[in-house]
Amino acid sequence: MADKAAEEISTYSHAPNHSSIPATDSTIWADVSPLLEAACRDLGDGELIHGNNFNLYAAMAALEIMDPKMDSGIVYKYYSIDEAIENGAAPVPISLDRTVDVQCTIDVMDHLLACEAAWHKGHPLAQTVFSCIYLLRPDRTSSHALLHSYCRVIRATCKAVVSVVSDARTHEEEDLFTMTYGLPLNGDGDEKCLSMLNAVEETISRQLRACKAIPSKRRVVEDLEPLQSDPNLEEGYCKALLCRLRFRKHFYHVLTCMKRPQGRGLELARKHIVSSMSELESILKSADFLRSDTSCVCEDGIEEKTTASGHQPVGFDASLNIRLCAPTPPRASKIPSWKKAIDYFVKLLHDLDAICSYSLDPHFEGLLRFVVQFQKSQPDLVARAHLQLLLVQEGKLYGRDSIFAVITKAAALPEAVKNHDLQKNESFLQLGQLVMNLLRILCTNIAWQRRKLGKILQDWRVIYVQLELAFRNEFGEVSTSSNDENTCLRIFQHVLVWVEEQTFWIACRFLMLGFELELYSPSEYCMVYWYLYAVLTKLAEKTHLKLALTHDIAKRKGKKKRDSSKDVGRESRIPPAVLFLQCYICLAEGLTMMLASLRNELQVLQSPSPFNTEHEKFVQHFELLQKACIPDHVTYQSFKECTTYARFSTLVMYNYFKDAQRIAKEIKNNFSNDPERAAELRSLEQVAEHNSVALSIISRVGALDPSLKVSFEFSHHPYFATAVVKRS
Amino acid sequence: MEQEAVKSLVQMKSADGSNPSSSDAVSRVSKLLFRRMLVGIKDGRFFLGNFHCMDKQGNIILQDAVEYRSTRRTSPSPMEQRCLGLILIPSSCRTSCHVDCSIEEQLSLLKV
Repeated sequence: MADKAAEEISTYSHAPNHSSIPATDSTIWADVSPLLEAACRDLGDGELIHGNNFNLYAAMAALEIMDPKMDSGIVYKYYSIDEAIENGAAPVPISLDRTVDVQCTIDVMDHLLACEAAWHKGHPLAQTVFSCIYLLRPDRTSSHALLHSYCRVIRATCKAVVSVVSDARTHEEEDLFTMTYGLPLNGDGDEKCLSMLNAVEETISRQLRACKAIPSKRRVVEDLEPLQSDPNLEEGYCKALLCRLRFRKHFYHVLTCMKRPQGRGLELARKHIVSSMSELESILKSADFLRSDTSCVCEDGIEEKTTASGHQPVGFDASLNIRLCAPTPPRASKIPSWKKAIDYFVKLLHDLDAICSYSLDPHFEGLLRFVVQFQKSQPDLVARAHLQLLLVQEGKLYGRDSIFAVITKAAALPEAVKNHDLQKNESFLQLGQLVMNLLRILCTNIAWQRRKLGKILQDWRVIYVQLELAFRNEFGEVSTSSNDENTCLRIFQHVLVWVEEQTFWIACRFLMLGFELELYSPSEYCMVYWYLYAVLTKLAEKTHLKLALTHDIAKRKGKKKRDSSKDVGRESRIPPAVLFLQCYICLAEGLTMMLASLRNELQVLQSPSPFNTEHEKFVQHFELLQKACIPDHVTYQSFKECTTYARFSTLVMYNYFKDAQRIAKEIKNNFSNDPERAAELRSLEQVAEHNSVALSIISRVGALDPSLKVSFEFSHHPYFATAVVKRS
Repeated sequence: MEQEAVKSLVQMKSADGSNPSSSDAVSRVSKLLFRRMLVGIKDGRFFLGNFHCMDKQGNIILQDAVEYRSTRRTSPSPMEQRCLGLILIPSSCRTSCHVDCSIEEQLSLLKV
């Protein structure tokens, strides 16, 4: 295709002359083409002419000219933006016929929306939004108020989004996003884009009122020129333009409001989100009008078009900018259809609304739950960047609470210690950094997040050891116990437990994200659930310990440790939060044993790969956890010991799923005010119920009936599998 | 196109430029190695770099190459340039090829 385009050019263009590239003073350019041709004829097959420094491997890395995947400099149609403009690629006005001009302007707006969505989804800005020639030359549009105001607000919006994403540093995961080199992102006067947009909006709404007025009165109403020349289309075009302009205005407001420090603009942002949504709806509806007008009959392809009218927009050329994308190789940027672009913005606004409606929970635990819940809807980069910016501002939570205060509160210490001198202690400062880092990581996409979580586990282990050391240094030989020392002692005790709890929480999230990312194969489920069970047990233990400390029953903490999972459910004093974890534990343990029994008795779900032993897979999956000793003394050997002798006969005797079901029922009432956790409990209960039934079927007929097929599905819960038993 | 070039590159192991039986033209081209070479291609761009390698098919590799392009189709117009490093110019898109040399040398080069 590139070749063709180039051929076309060379046929009608005056190719530039090499004379403009000077040789040195005393030399000239000698044409060697005939000589090269002769040499080629004489060369044998596979022979090369090269010097001593030639290296085949290095030569393979050469950039191939005219290869559309490597050569970003290919001249497609125009040599430069100016040349494109001179050739009428982006006329201002777009047409001298005012109706056509309005029509084309709407097409430009629609295509820009699609480009913006493509950019948010990870394509380079230069090849999406800035493929619009009108945006590239900010001054050219100044005579066309409508187009000019729209271009300005687009540039300003892009700038605002780039700044949020680069401030949040979430773009690490997608480094192309913030590349703006060479693009006129700062048009003169773009900061005043809103006042200009308002003025244009005002004019058009007056034009709309004028055309709606009764004809006899029309002249009286205002002395106003209509938007375009066809009175029958006036109303439709005015409306189509108004919703597009208003959407831009509200969307820009949403972005600026959300950026205000300490979440002060969130409430206002929500109002603009509502308005943006309703304008998007109007934009969608305007498609009927815009299409009815078109003479083009190609209805079939309309779903794929990037404009509401289905027309190809004027003034776009992605190839002009392609060289600005260096150092990345040129990529084909697929612009989504106009419909898909609107869907994207609806989702983005929903995600932003979820952030804006967050209550800025001062409790760390609640915050973590919120972020995890938020991530479930798989928000895109822009929404996640906004969340991160809200969470960590100027080294404080929400730009409001110092991290030390957040930690002491989370560690269930009294309000009074939040300004204690210990916050200046180096280990505590480092812990604060780790907490902020954790929050940032939780806002990244789940693949990136899992990798980072695995890596920071070791840091959390190290900080625990450091804090413990600092604690011993200070209280190694307890002799005097002044009041202040007592406080210090308590801070250390609480924070140490809390740090361990967080470490196990991170490890759990790490393991669970593996399911979401589909990193585990069914033959590995057994070891994953076993590991999850081990980590969850520790997490429940630490959570219980923390809660026990709160209620000043520290003396009894040793007794309450969760080493036997069996009778905890019956103990009435166990807090619901711990029972919730207990429910997870039962499911994980039940699944482990069920999977192990299936393997031991029915010889199913055995590791099929001849390349990796089970031990190697264990290491691959849990290396990061093992390195950080999470939990202590957990090895492949202990996994084998636990699972080698699993049998259905014993599993039925002690049914973990029944336990999980019972706990879920028991604590349901405790979470009636918390719809998310109530829903989670319901799905846990369902998993437990289904697996319990499956277990009894398999244990009854499994060994006798070889046609029985057992498979696992994630139909009720994203991480806890449900066994499906079928007869083939 | 790329694959072709790579294939011919791989085969070169069997022989190299210093082959004693090589023809006059081949040995003269070998003498051009490391010289500044200016290659024009179909879409109007020029590449200036050090001649590094050529294969039977006429694909050329230049080292430390700089791309020159006009900003307009109507010449003369200002040239834009950027550095590209090691590049492979397939013979199919090559339209001209010049070597930096003195006038006396030019005369000898022209004799084919």
